Amino acid sequence: MTLPLRLLYVAVLQVILTSFITYFLITDEYRDLSEKNVVILENFLIEQKKQALKNYTSIALTSVNQAYDSPKKNSHQTAQEVVADTFNGLVYNGDDGYFFIYDELGNSIVHPKEPYRVGKNWWQLEDSNGEKIIQLLIKNAKNGGDFYRYNWLKPSEGQKVQKISYSIYMDKWDWMLGTGVYLDDVYQQLSNLQAQMDTHINYTKHIILIVAMSSIFFIFLFGIMVNLSHKKKADAKISELSQRVIDVQEEESRHISRELHDGITQILISIKYSLEATGLYLTKNQQEKPVTLKSAQENLAVAIQEVRRISHHMHPQILDELGLSEAIESIASDFSKRTKVPVQVNKPALRKLLPDFINTTLFRIVQEALTNIQKHAKAKSVLIALSVESDWLTLIIQDDGVGFDIARTQSKGIGLRNLAERVEHHRGKFTIKSSKMGTIITVKIPTASFVNHFNESTIHSDKNDNNNER
Amino acid sequence: MENNNLDNQETQISVLLVDDHPMVQGGLTACLAFYDDINIVGTCNDGADALSKAKALKPDVILMDVSMPNMNGIDATEIITEQCPDVQILIFSMHDSQEFVSSAIQAGASGYVLKDTSSEEVYYAIKAIAKGNTHFSSSIAKMLIENPIKPESEKLTTREQVILSYVARGLSSKEVARTLNISFRTVDAHRRNIKAKLNIESLAEMVRYAVNHGLIEE
Repeated sequence: MTLPLRLLYVAVLQVILTSFITYFLITDEYRDLSEKNVVILENFLIEQKKQALKNYTSIALTSVNQAYDSPKKNSHQTAQEVVADTFNGLVYNGDDGYFFIYDELGNSIVHPKEPYRVGKNWWQLEDSNGEKIIQLLIKNAKNGGDFYRYNWLKPSEGQKVQKISYSIYMDKWDWMLGTGVYLDDVYQQLSNLQAQMDTHINYTKHIILIVAMSSIFFIFLFGIMVNLSHKKKADAKISELSQRVIDVQEEESRHISRELHDGITQILISIKYSLEATGLYLTKNQQEKPVTLKSAQENLAVAIQEVRRISHHMHPQILDELGLSEAIESIASDFSKRTKVPVQVNKPALRKLLPDFINTTLFRIVQEALTNIQKHAKAKSVLIALSVESDWLTLIIQDDGVGFDIARTQSKGIGLRNLAERVEHHRGKFTIKSSKMGTIITVKIPTASFVNHFNESTIHSDKNDNNNER
Repeated sequence: MENNNLDNQETQISVLLVDDHPMVQGGLTACLAFYDDINIVGTCNDGADALSKAKALKPDVILMDVSMPNMNGIDATEIITEQCPDVQILIFSMHDSQEFVSSAIQAGASGYVLKDTSSEEVYYAIKAIAKGNTHFSSSIAKMLIENPIKPESEKLTTREQVILSYVARGLSSKEVARTLNISFRTVDAHRRNIKAKLNIESLAEMVRYAVNHGLIEE
């Protein structure tokens, strides 16, 4: 039982360890991966935006090409107005995509969303980090066009968010043309993604947890089942073994008892007759019996009685010679003599129906019950009934005593519990009911357990006798 | 001493000794040899052998042990008294409980002496039952007076049980008689006794009784 239990612990430990490692490894790996993914996506999205800005700018420039490139037709001023007008009207991405134009000194020329800026100088305009926004945009433009990130008012939101702007330089007029996109939706998208990934990680975590828990649960369940079946098997083995032990004990006592009765006692008896013959011989020759011979005879008689007593105590021969009901009658009358409690014995008309093992078990039950009655019951009368009816042999031992605590008496280890087990071992039933009104022990053995036993034992030997005669 | 009948073979009592222990046989023979009116005509050491010896030797008295291999003395007593009604049987045993005594009496024994009584008493017991009286060891007699044997009218003897078993298995009285090597009339007498004891009338009831009690298989 210890080995499977240890295996169980090892298995559970392994599951816990594995889940622990998997849990942290996967979580870590996932987070790492998702962060990388987010960065890549961010770069990609921003790159896309940048590309779009460039495209918008070049498209926008194309649309003003005519006015910008052919100043001959109109005056310089007119051309600039046309271009400024065009840019003022170029709006994309809803409200948030627009073009702005500053001259090289930072004077705002076009700003469709914040018209109050137009005509004013914004050279010194700084953002919260102290960067001169317009100066940097102009510088990028003069360097051939580049991108710049800063915080600016988003028209659709009405508040400052991060914006990336592309600016180029219109050399002919010393204008800086810029346009930008707001990055808040990119970051929104990215954080959504991050959240999704986190959800996914959590989900995976939960799965690992559930798998681990259910593994542990199943391992325990399996372990418990294995243990239970082991225990069941072990119990059955123990019961089987204890029955074997009792069998062996009974057989041993029967054997020793027989040895004593048929061996030692008979030898003692023969010695007794030899001593008597000696006495008779002396008497015949008119000699007196010596005192030593007399005392030898007396001591021998004591020895014979003693051996008989031991033999009877180990195994009553009456059980083998006359059968169960006579044996019960015998101990019942011994009991009555000893205790002055009358015992009524009802027995069937037939005898020697039972094989030895049932005989012995039932006899021991009666013996044990009478011992209990003598010790605890304070009974006024006892009834022992043995009968065979409708497929069952029934033995009832009933007293009118004070009853006893079954559990307590049984735990004293004497026979009743063992005997009950023994009865069940022989496919029988054992019940004991004890109350203040007395105790009833009922034992039932199916007739199938002993059917034909009488024929096999008695008639078989009878036939042999007849064969001998012929 | 009992020497006055030495020459009178007619009054000498022939005895068959049945005991599975040769040393007991020897000891008892040695003792009884001092009594000239006792003639030990044979010995044997089990119940089955006793029956054939009883038939062959026709002793006046059989001194019968109880615990023996093959067939015990009580069952042998029943069969011998059934087949040799002239033989008187004296049980000679270590067993002193009433159940043995009553079973022996039911089986047809005329007396019961314990093995630890003196050979003198055995001698008187043999003499008594040879005359057709009964004899019991003093302790047995005391027991019988204190607890008179209940008439075991309802309980079958081993022999009756054997016959019930055969009859219930469908053997006719004739077949039973042949199997057990006894007369047809004896079987019939047994059958009547069985019916009376079990308080039943018909053959069918006998069969049912035997089956119900696990005596035979259905």
